This record gives sequence, structure tokens and C-alpha cells, in this order.
Amino acid sequence: MKFAYYPGCSARSTCAELNEATHLVAAKLGLELIQLESATCTGARELRAIDPVGFYTLNVRILALAESHGLPLMTICNTCTLNVLDAHAAFVSDREFAVSINARLAEEGLHYSGRTRISHFLWVLHENIGEQRLRELVVNPLTDLTVAAFYGCHITRPPLQYGFIDSRNNIALEKLAEVLGCQPIDYSGRNECCGFHTAAHDERVAIKLTGQHILSAKAGGAQAMVTPCPLCHTVLDGFQREIEKDVGQKLDMPILHLPQLVGLALGLSPDELNIDRHMVPAGALKAYAAGAAKGSRR
Amino acid sequence: MTLASAPAQAGIDARRLGQIEMGDTLAARNSRLAVGDNIVVRIRRSEGSATYQDFQVPYQKWMRVLDVLNWIAENKAADLAYRWFCGSKMCGTCAVRMNGREVLACWEAAEPKMTIEPLRNLPVIRDLIVDRTAYENKVAQLEPWLERREPYPPFPEPLNHKQMKDASKALDCISCMCCYSACPVIGLGNLTDFAGPAPLVQLGQTALDPRNDPDKVKRSLQLTGIFNCVSCYKCEEVCPAGIPIVSRIIEPLKAKAAQLVPGMAKHSFALRDIVAARGRVDPGALVLRVQGLRALANMSRLIRLLVRGKINPLKTLFKIKTAATEAAGRILRAGVGK
Repeated sequence: MKFAYYPGCSARSTCAELNEATHLVAAKLGLELIQLESATCTGARELRAIDPVGFYTLNVRILALAESHGLPLMTICNTCTLNVLDAHAAFVSDREFAVSINARLAEEGLHYSGRTRISHFLWVLHENIGEQRLRELVVNPLTDLTVAAFYGCHITRPPLQYGFIDSRNNIALEKLAEVLGCQPIDYSGRNECCGFHTAAHDERVAIKLTGQHILSAKAGGAQAMVTPCPLCHTVLDGFQREIEKDVGQKLDMPILHLPQLVGLALGLSPDELNIDRHMVPAGALKAYAAGAAKGSRR
Repeated sequence: MTLASAPAQAGIDARRLGQIEMGDTLAARNSRLAVGDNIVVRIRRSEGSATYQDFQVPYQKWMRVLDVLNWIAENKAADLAYRWFCGSKMCGTCAVRMNGREVLACWEAAEPKMTIEPLRNLPVIRDLIVDRTAYENKVAQLEPWLERREPYPPFPEPLNHKQMKDASKALDCISCMCCYSACPVIGLGNLTDFAGPAPLVQLGQTALDPRNDPDKVKRSLQLTGIFNCVSCYKCEEVCPAGIPIVSRIIEPLKAKAAQLVPGMAKHSFALRDIVAARGRVDPGALVLRVQGLRALANMSRLIRLLVRGKINPLKTLFKIKTAATEAAGRILRAGVGK
């Protein structure tokens, strides 16, 4: 199975471990990823407000790059996913607009026909690999590991668009965690927002919001949280020291990128998955993985 | 959460996983209660400190949350305070939280077990009734009306659907406050000056109308703190009128703010410049440009980020060209000044 792969900016800078883990896990899963090297940023949430034409052009260009390989597009960041989905929708709904964007893309010999299928890694796991195949590939079931699934916003909302159901009813991450052997816990933060998109100019909103979610995950008994989005990861993990100060207690909640959790179950070691590159030390998880290797849990 | 582990199926759609398990289908909704079943209702009362009171209500066909409240008021608790007027999704007064979700009591089917609470983020007057004063003051402050300085053509004035496409969405608002209750930023109280989704929708009705005086729109936008919206789409999810609040109201208002009050969108311009110059976002450069020297104030954090390889000062200082640089520069620079 082959995908055009768009890692986005975070996974190539602050969350480089996510990109590396995705490549390692893809190899285990038999996914061939063609990384789109010349793809630009999708504009985060900022660009659409000040330069909508630039925003749509950058995103349609990414879809056109995938099309030039004749491949579906795989993303690993929620906000990037919604940006390309929004751009695709704008492109196919307005013919005049589509023609004008293609004229811009023609300058470098690219063309978008509106047919690139967009899929986040979480969706690829369910839809292309499938639960059954995943179960066969799990060599190190993460038995007894309690995880809190943190979805983030942009791969479950806006509601009732792009095939989304009521985000509060989506259980794709919990289902996946179960397949990997984990015990997903229920907690109030699962569909909530990490506040990343205002953090560049004011970190307080992100710190306050995310503090509630980590506390609720902790109260629910989670040993780790897992997220399909590097932006959520940046807040949950990167700001955790500041969050601890704000809530007035030590949290020590390891935050895993989705491919890292999958990788652990597929037999990759915490070191290979670069869990130490996170801001929150994942000692507990490493001890867990070491125990798993010795088979002490079974 | 316990999840049934169904075997993998062809044609699985990850975006819909959970719809069946969570009873989010018409068939499930139509079969979860039968006439004569007892509905278990827990209502947040406000005698003294907040308490909950439990009721058993016999289900009658087509019963809505509002019918359940009416039954309780008529049969069990004559002093239950709740608001409603039209009973048909028009007046926007009956919004409550049912099992943690903002709903209109008149429009939501009763469920077998319900916890009914007042909306969040507004003071409770009694039981399920909230004080809307804060909202109404904010809306008044935003001056949501048209002002026109220049002479304009007489009726019928030429105005097409495209020009009014966003404003007309905002006109569907019934001011029920569901979005205001669901907004996480409003939930943080006075931490920011964010006006919140409901007041922004009210403003959008006229600020997104092309006939409005730009100076007046500018004045209003300066009072909104609109760039504190985290873009979580929670407001859209609960809107009973189905208004795409983020995509069709807040985003177009942000675009207006960026145009009329560029200082409000400083971080957006910074991101655009960085992407235009580098192809991708360099987080170090972005934070440095938006926060200035404030970004360097937390030395211990910077050192931690460096140690874990989260930031790369060399990359930040020396704009390393990437394969994406050329395309981003061409596409974004062409847009500048348009």
C-alpha cells in the first residue's frame, strides 16, 4: 500500500520524533510512504484569515503533488488534515476558483483534478490496515496499559462535514488502543481542545485548558495519553511544566504520538521511537516496555 | 469506556467509528424508549448550594426534554424553574445541558437516563434559568447594526447572495446561548477579552454585511478579542440552528479584523512571512517574532527545549532553504498587497 505522505511543519521541527516514528511504523505495517519534500506549510489557522487565496493555493498544491504521484495523501497532523480537506472542498465547489488555482499551479507543471483522497494516519490504520491485520502484527500487546485518548479538534470537527459524525461519539482512537492491547479510559478531556492555536501569542489559554484535561485523564487512571496531532502534543507535553505550575501539582503524564503507541505494540523499543525526546520523561513507560520485553506481564 | 471489538470489515469509515456503539443513529434513537418506560431524570436544583434532585417520569410517545420538564413541574415539583416560550426552536429560551451536551429542550428527544443542568458560563438565577445579562451587554457594546456615511441607491438596492452569504448564515441565530456554554475560552472566565461565539454571531449579522461602514465595523471588532478563538468548532457542534459559526462567521470576521485592524492579527502576518521565506514554519522564529523578547524571558524553558532538540537556533538564525521555499515564496508573495 502506497501513500503520498505529508508530515507538516511540527513533525519536521519540534516533533521530529513523530515523523521518525511514522516512518518506522509504516515499514512494520507494509505502508510505503512517498514523502512530499517540496510541500509547504498548510498555513495553520493563521493564513486563512489574512490571505485566503494563498491559503487555498498552498493546500491545493499539496493535493496536486499527491496527484502527480497518483497516490492518496496521508497526513499526521489534525490541523493540516482539516486545511487540505477545506481546500479540497473549496476547490470542487467553485469551478472558477479551481481554474484560477490550477493556473497558478501550472507555473510549476502541477495540476489538481479534485480526486486526491485525504486520509489521516489514524484513518489509514482503521481503513487500510484494518483491525484484523493489526491484531496479527501486534507482537507486544500493551496489556494493562491505561491510556487516555486525546483526539484534538480538527480530525473530528467541524460537525457533519467531510463525513464526520458528532465528535463526542467518535471512538476510533479508543478502538485502536484496544486492538493494541491497551485499556482506554473514559475522561472529560477526550474531545476537548488543547488551545494550541492561540498559544503563539498567549500561552495562558492553552495552559489553562490542557491542565483540566490532563487532570481528568490522571483522575481516570491513565498511565499515558495518546494523541494523533503534533500540535496537541506540543501543548500537552511541551507546556506540561507550566501546566503543573498552574494547577499546583506534579502531573508527570507521558504523552505519546499515535505512531509511537502503535510502534510499541508492534515491537519497536522506546529508544527507537525516541520517547526520550519528549519534555515529560517517559520513565514509567520505559519500565513498562522493559517489563513487557521480559514477559513479566503475561 | 468499554468498546465492543467487532471484527475488521471492508468499507470501514474511521470518521464514523462509534456511531453505532454510541446509539447515534435514527433507528437507535427511535427504539430506546417505549411508551410507559420510566425515564430517570436528575435535575440540578439551586436551593442553597447546587444540589441534584431525582425524578421518575413515565415516557409518553414523542416526549421531548421540554415535555419531561413540564411533566415534572405539573406532577412533582411545582417550584422547578425553567424557561420556555415557543416550544418550536424559534425563541431560543429553553437551552439546557442534557447529559453534558447543550440542547434546546423543545427540540431534543428524551433519553432513558438524563442529567439536566443549566447552561455553563452564565450565572444561574435559579434551577435551570441563567442570567443572560453579560451576553446582552456584550452584544450592545458591539453595536450590531448598520451605519452608512455615504449616500446609497434607493430601494431596491443591488445586493447579491454572494455578498451576503456569511451574514445571512448569522441571521439564523436564535440567541439560545448553547455555543456560549460550549465555548472553552469563555469557560476560562475573564482570562482573555474574547467576546465568545454568540456575541460574534450577532456582530456578524451586520459586520459581514458589505453595506456597513468599515470604520464602525473596525470599532466593533476591536472589542471582540477575536484572535483568542482557539478554532475548536465546539460552538458549531452544539448550534441548534446549524450555523457554521467558526467557518462562516468567526473566520470571515477574523479576515475583516486583519484587514481593518492589522495589529490584531500580528501573529498571522508573522506566520505568513515565515512561511513565505522558508516554506515551512520554524516555531522558534514564529514565537520570537510574535512575542519578541518576552519569548526569551523563560530561560529554563528554552534550555529544556534545546536539550530535547525541540528547537534549533541555527535553523532559526540562518534561514535554511528547504525544497518548499521556492513555491511558498512565489504563492504567498504574489498574494501580498491584493
